[in-house]
Amino acid sequence: MKSFTYTIRDELGIHARPAGLLCKEAKKYSCTVRVAAGGKEADATRIMALMGLCVKQGDTVSVTCEGGDEETAAKDLEAFFQGNL
Amino acid sequence: MMGEMFGKLKDMFGFGESGLVIQAPLEGEAVPISEVGDPTFSQEILGKGVAIRPGKGRIVAPADGTIETMFDTGHAVSLTSDDGVEILIHVGLDTVGLKGQFYTAHVKNGQRVQKGELLIEFDIAGITGAGYDVITPVVICNSDAYAGFEPLPGAHVGELDDLIRLKK
Repeated sequence: MKSFTYTIRDELGIHARPAGLLCKEAKKYSCTVRVAAGGKEADATRIMALMGLCVKQGDTVSVTCEGGDEETAAKDLEAFFQGNL
Repeated sequence: MMGEMFGKLKDMFGFGESGLVIQAPLEGEAVPISEVGDPTFSQEILGKGVAIRPGKGRIVAPADGTIETMFDTGHAVSLTSDDGVEILIHVGLDTVGLKGQFYTAHVKNGQRVQKGELLIEFDIAGITGAGYDVITPVVICNSDAYAGFEPLPGAHVGELDDLIRLKK
């Protein structure tokens, strides 16, 4: 299991577009990717669940990757968050 | 025997010959999603869908189901139908930037809704006047889960007219 935390800098938080992009990214890996924030948790391959976290600017999310390619997934997804959110 | 049972189950869940039909959550002019001026929708990043240029400033539930997310800003709503279809209705492009102005949300997260129930009211002239495109993509977020996706509307769509046919 590999995890990291990230504090959202994007003014608009995880709204539709970044949720879609994050979901697309998460689907590239065979490991499970879970995003937790504000006491809720979402499967990162489900756009609706990601949007349902209602993550805002300044919120800290914790991302957990578990499975075969967890190492690469966690590294790439952390870069995705830094680049997009 | 098993075949017959499956057939019945399929019909029960709306996956018989005719598939599962999602109704339009708003009235307006139908536009292919590929023509929407935002790659998030035109490239189907959120799923396949149909766009509607609103004729009237109201969104109603396209099916019986549960509200997943009513965005605080009122510009978008997502629900899961009782058949398991995940539907996102995004009123206007980039309208998250309006931060709630011109939108009134009528439902809350987790609320049960009946088909036709009012979800959002919005001010078309206000949104357009603020420089935003009010075109409204209706997206099936889990369209990957269906083998068939067929947009049904002609040029004009009325509220709760047939909009999309899904087949397993």
